[in-house]
Amino acid sequence: MKSAKSMERFFFAEEVPCGLALARIVLPLVLLLVMVPRWFHARELFSSDGAAAPLAINYGIPDMVPVPNGTMAVAMTTLLVLTLITSSLGWCTRLSLVIATVLYVWLNLLDCLGTLTKYSVIASHGLFLLSLSNCGKIWSIDSVLKRRAAPPGTSLPRAFPAWPRRLMQIMVGLVYIGAAFTKMHTPAFFSGDQMRQWMITNVNYANPFGEYISFYPGVLVVSAYVTIVWEVLFLFTCWKGWGRILMISGGVTFHLGTTLLLGLYIFPAVCCCIYLAFIEERDIERLRGFVQRLSQRGNRLAGSLQSFARQIPMLVPAITPRQAGSIFAAVSLITVFSGIELEHQLDPFGTRRAEGAYQLVELDPIEVETKLQLSPRIRESDKFLSFDIGSQMLGDALVNHRDTFRHGDTLIAQCVLVPPHEDMYIHCDLHDADDNVIDQVGQVVERRTLRATYAFGMFGSLQPGTYFMVIRSGGQEITRRPFTLLDSR
Amino acid sequence: MKRWLAAGTIAAYLSVMFYGVAAHALNYKPNSHPTMYFIVWDMFCGWSAFSNRTHVIGQGESGRFYQLSPAPWGEFTPFGDLGRQHYDPFANHTADMALNTLRYTQHEPIQQIYVVEEAWAKKFNLPDDLWNRRYPEPKQPYSYFHLRQVLAGNGREIRRNPNWFAWQTQQAVNDNPRLWAAARQEQPAWQMPSALAARDPGTVGLPQMQTTVLSATAQ
Repeated sequence: MKSAKSMERFFFAEEVPCGLALARIVLPLVLLLVMVPRWFHARELFSSDGAAAPLAINYGIPDMVPVPNGTMAVAMTTLLVLTLITSSLGWCTRLSLVIATVLYVWLNLLDCLGTLTKYSVIASHGLFLLSLSNCGKIWSIDSVLKRRAAPPGTSLPRAFPAWPRRLMQIMVGLVYIGAAFTKMHTPAFFSGDQMRQWMITNVNYANPFGEYISFYPGVLVVSAYVTIVWEVLFLFTCWKGWGRILMISGGVTFHLGTTLLLGLYIFPAVCCCIYLAFIEERDIERLRGFVQRLSQRGNRLAGSLQSFARQIPMLVPAITPRQAGSIFAAVSLITVFSGIELEHQLDPFGTRRAEGAYQLVELDPIEVETKLQLSPRIRESDKFLSFDIGSQMLGDALVNHRDTFRHGDTLIAQCVLVPPHEDMYIHCDLHDADDNVIDQVGQVVERRTLRATYAFGMFGSLQPGTYFMVIRSGGQEITRRPFTLLDSR
Repeated sequence: MKRWLAAGTIAAYLSVMFYGVAAHALNYKPNSHPTMYFIVWDMFCGWSAFSNRTHVIGQGESGRFYQLSPAPWGEFTPFGDLGRQHYDPFANHTADMALNTLRYTQHEPIQQIYVVEEAWAKKFNLPDDLWNRRYPEPKQPYSYFHLRQVLAGNGREIRRNPNWFAWQTQQAVNDNPRLWAAARQEQPAWQMPSALAARDPGTVGLPQMQTTVLSATAQ
């Protein structure tokens, strides 16, 4: 009984939808960054007149989602762009959000190569939940018009059941739980191998910091465990107090990390928009109070911020809510037809150019012949990602790199391999400065293993001087690392 | 009434979301339907140590070769500076992209379309300064090319090969004379794709069946 009551309070307590209103304002703006560039390619990406790539084909269900013709695809994309703008402004908010949700999901399903990703799925959930909510009741054109139209002295309802916000919060928590399961299914995540390879993958935007960090496996191992603990804890501790502060700030840091390390931009932006659902009315009150205090102390920025906020409603034209609906319909029609005409004029495939349709680009036959030959087996050196010498292990990874050792130290040599490789026998040899082999160690590395680690005692019988650790595989030297051996202190 | 509707929506939404997480955690039909993509959170689920690019080449009646992707009017780069055709790991949509280029260009009749996969070790993606800090040996990138798919000029699939990574993995496994001999000894005269179909009947398409039979008979 008690839990039923607290459940009811959790989902149905009435609150001013500040967090969702903020998400409504910002999320569509982020999605505009994605959809506006795609508008220019709508015919190619989303239509039967182009090269649509429906997701359902990958699942063997080719006709699950209707593929529109070129003109219809342009109309849909134009309308989506418009409704994202009107959702953000809060003009015919619910209708705008419903249209935006349907069109966004539909268009994403039509292009699984260049549009649909997991961030667009998270954004689809976000738009769907916003369209169920009362996020347009505050900070919107709709709310300004309704206030104006209401008889003097009447107060419009500002508080509504919390459940759409709760669902959005639970959704993001479940996304992290799912992501944690993904990591648990991927052993290479915990050794840092997976992230290391993603950091040197050029399929997103540039990530020079990630490329730099990729060769510090200790950082990757520690951050792997921190990430998974945070992802599992998020759903259970994000609700109030320090838990909320820690989880949300940890989340922002994590997503900022994906920008720096992996070159992702829209994914973190979408997730941070969803985080706005965690903002409550009292947070806004606190912020207002803070700005107020700053303004009273003579801070100009705070003062202009306050006056700007007061002026926003005055920017809304003097029309009734009913007129606003009619104007919305008219603007939608005009925008869609203008979009169709503009795209026609842009002639995306160049079929109406004065010089005629494009010619195909001819390729060098020798170059093509090379590409059509049977692929050789992987070069021996390509099976190795790195070879380092040091003395400290963390998990399976060698985490410090040294080039100077003393008598009594243990030198650890480690080579990291990449899949696919066959069962291998890898030699790690100790050579002196004249390239004489002093010590030889071999190790079978079976095909699922990605690390071969060798330990060498730096005994007093070795003369101080320069030495080399040499890795050999498949009868050839792969690489070598020099080091200096000094007397013990 | 409104409260009941809201409660129903909450229950339905949460049930679907929890089902997705459970299906993913237990690996219970996580890819059984396209809608599962919307409730299974498997971001960065895979990884590879090799970068891949896709080349789509058309061969005309004259024997000349033409680039079919990117199209001559330019390419769309969805998530960085990489063209859209490079995001098709299953080569399920390459034919449509090639046919779209052919539809809107002037060209001689095209007889065959080749989809070629290019792969190279990702360590060569490192910029030169970082390479020089990490590796004493000179940077000598090398690309492997692998024929992924052959299509007729009308887009009909003539041949589909496993991707380069799968092919190399198979070669690595085959690089074991004892295992190979055992496999040859035990191999039936005909290998049907029934084992594959029994595992996941919903996702076995003709190309996969052909691949199974081909790889079995190729030995």
